[in-house]
This record gives sequence, structure tokens and C-alpha cells, in this order.
Amino acid sequence: MSARTLRITLIVLAVIGTGLASYLTYIHYAGIEPLCSIKGNPCSQVQKSVYSELAGVPVALIGLIGYVVILGSLLTPEEERLRFVTAALTLGGFGFSAYLTYRELFTLHKICEWCVSSAVIMTIMMCLSIWRYLRGGAPSALGAGGAVAGGQSAGAESPAPLGSAS
Amino acid sequence: MSPVGSDEEDLTRKQRREQARADRKAMEEAAAAGAARRTRLTQLGLVVAVVVVAVVVILIATGGGKSKTPPVVGSSGATSTQKKVAALLGGIPQSGNTLGSPTAPVTLQYFGDLECPICQKFTLGALPTVIQKWVRTGKLRIEYRSLETATREPETFKLQQVAAYAAGKQNKAWYFIETFYHEQGEEDTGYVTEKYIQGIASQVPGLDLATWSADRGDAQLANQIVTDAQAANNNGFTGTPSFLIGRSGGAMSKLEYTNGPEDPTFVNEAVEKLLKA
Repeated sequence: MSARTLRITLIVLAVIGTGLASYLTYIHYAGIEPLCSIKGNPCSQVQKSVYSELAGVPVALIGLIGYVVILGSLLTPEEERLRFVTAALTLGGFGFSAYLTYRELFTLHKICEWCVSSAVIMTIMMCLSIWRYLRGGAPSALGAGGAVAGGQSAGAESPAPLGSAS
Repeated sequence: MSPVGSDEEDLTRKQRREQARADRKAMEEAAAAGAARRTRLTQLGLVVAVVVVAVVVILIATGGGKSKTPPVVGSSGATSTQKKVAALLGGIPQSGNTLGSPTAPVTLQYFGDLECPICQKFTLGALPTVIQKWVRTGKLRIEYRSLETATREPETFKLQQVAAYAAGKQNKAWYFIETFYHEQGEEDTGYVTEKYIQGIASQVPGLDLATWSADRGDAQLANQIVTDAQAANNNGFTGTPSFLIGRSGGAMSKLEYTNGPEDPTFVNEAVEKLLKA
């Protein structure tokens, strides 16, 4: 996968995640029932549980802020440092998603399909962003006439990684 | 040595130098690439460590990851609850939802929701003193009445409250109520399931489970919940725990706690006043 394709894939996933988190944030503040295909609407029970907020802040809003920041790091002209920031943010997002999934499965014994979708998206984003950071390579440009062409071969190393002591 | 041979020797030497230079360059590049990769892995490792610590902190701060389900009957947790409840209630007469002597001069009506954490504070904090001081001595009887506040789903509220009242048909409602409050789960987590209710009932000493199960279908018990709600409404109660107190058979007055639900002083003072009247 070229660096450009990888970056675009991450942006698409971040946009989908932002959409999901926006919907859940809207649901939370509007006080309406979320759409749910599972009988008994476990999504609603999860959204109204004590775990739907962390220190008084809706977890949906925390997720929305997270996705927007990740999207911002992907839309900013690419450089080594930003690839690290994206990887770190998605790792944080994955950890938070893991915590929420744990609460759903082992505390609430309910599954919210919106939350699971977000967790899956965040997991894929984490894997891709870590791969993107570890393989290094020259920055990619989003536009067709970008200054730097994508398509660096996997395994190519950038000359000066962030914080490199060499 | 011939001049031709010398040229060939020089060429080979030059080639060797170039080869060695190329090898050295390749090794340096490989070493640099390896160092860069190691640096990146170290950085990601640090991020992973920070994320793990953050998740653990959140887990502990939001309840330590424990899932409150009733202890398995016979386990140390269940045995501990059973011992505490037996020590608290043992030897005190019960009738339906009432704890204490039927001839006790003072009656306290306790409106509670079994899932209400403030009711738990009262039941576990203040009530043991009240029971020991007034109920066990035959001066006070306590009627437990229901009022839905903390329980989110009306069906769940009915399920748990009818189960308690069904134990009352065997004069063991207070064992059920006390056990429930001792093992109360986290609010809004949907922990009250049929399995949970069965687990509570299993810990009530001497409860005939077959009879109890059959009694849960008694429509009168469901009607009792409606009657309780009407009584609470008539007295303007919107929260739990709420209390009415008075001379048995006489008019009842509202009683409110002042120093928090764990402090039994407000009940003690009210009972003393009524006994003197």
C-alpha cells in the first residue's frame, strides 16, 4: 500500500468515526433513543448507563474530540513527527475503546453496535497508523499534483526519525 | 612482474576498495535504518505504557472493574452476608413486610427502592442501630414500603419488589431486603436479573423457594406496589429513603434525616419523643 493510499484510508476511517461519535454525542445531549437493530435496544441501556460519562464528560464527546484531533493530524501536511502523533492518538483511542468494550461485556453485559463499530474503526486505524509510522518513508501529498509523490516502498527509512539519537 | 600484470593488480585493488566502500555504506545504512526502527519502537512502547496506565487508572476510578453480581451461594461473600443478616434479624418477629413485634407502640414506615444507593447507606449505616435499640426491644416495628426512584425500568422494579414481598408471605421479606441491600450493585448497570433475584432468595434462610416462586405470581403483591406508590405520592415523597413515623395505629408524620442517611439519630430522637408522648 502506498503512503498516499494509507493516508487516505486513515482519513476515510477518521471521517466515519467522527460521524459515529457525532451521532452518539447528539443522542446523548438530545436525550433521544439511539437507533439499534438488537432486540431490547441495549444501545440505549449502554448510552444511559453510568459509564456513558467519564468525570461528567460524555464518552461520546470524548470520542468525537479524539476523532477530530486524529483527523486534524492526518490532514496536516505530512511529516515524521505527525505520523508519530497520529499513531500515539490512535493508540490512546484504542485503549479507551478497549475500556468501554470491557464495560459493555463484563459490567453491563450489553453490547451497543455503535460503540462496537467505533471500536473496530479505531482498532484498524491504530494498526494502520503504527504500520505507517514504523515503515517510515518520505511524506505523501493528498493532492494529485502534490509536491511529493507517494508510493515509497515499504521498509524505506526516513533519514531522521523523531527523537532519533543517531 | 610485467607491466600488464601490474595494471591488472591495480585494477583489482581499486575494485576491492570500491567494493569495500560499498559494503561499508550498505552496512552504515542498514545500521541507521535499524537504529531508526528501534527508536520508533521505543517511542511507541512508551505510548503503549502510558495508555495502559491511563486505562487502568480509569478502570479503578470508575469502579475497579468489578461486576457486582450476587455472590454464589455458599461462597465466602454469600456466607458473610448471610451471617451479617442473620445476626441483625435473628429472633425478631416478622410479618409480611413488617419487622418487629406486632404490639410495638411505635411504627416506622420506610419507603425504599432496593436499587437506591442512599437507601443502602441508611440500611447498612443507621438501621442496625435502630433495630438493635428499638426493634429488638419491642418498642418499634418497621414497615418496608416501596417507591421507585433509582431503578430505571419499572418492570425491573416490579420484579425485585414482588420478589421481596413474596418472601414476606413466608415472613422473610426483611431477610430478602437486607440481603439485597448488602449485595446491591452499581446503579444503572442493569445488574438485577432473574438470576440475581434467585441468588438473593437462595441466601434467605429457610425460604421455601418453590413456594416463593409460586407466590411471585400473586397479583396482590403487584397491587401492594401500586398502593405503596399512592401512599408515597399522598405524602409528597419523590425520593428515597423517605419515612413516616407515629404511634402504632395512629396518625403518621413525615420524618426526615438531618445528618445523612447513615446517622440513626433522627430515628432515635423521633422514637424517644413518641414513647414519651
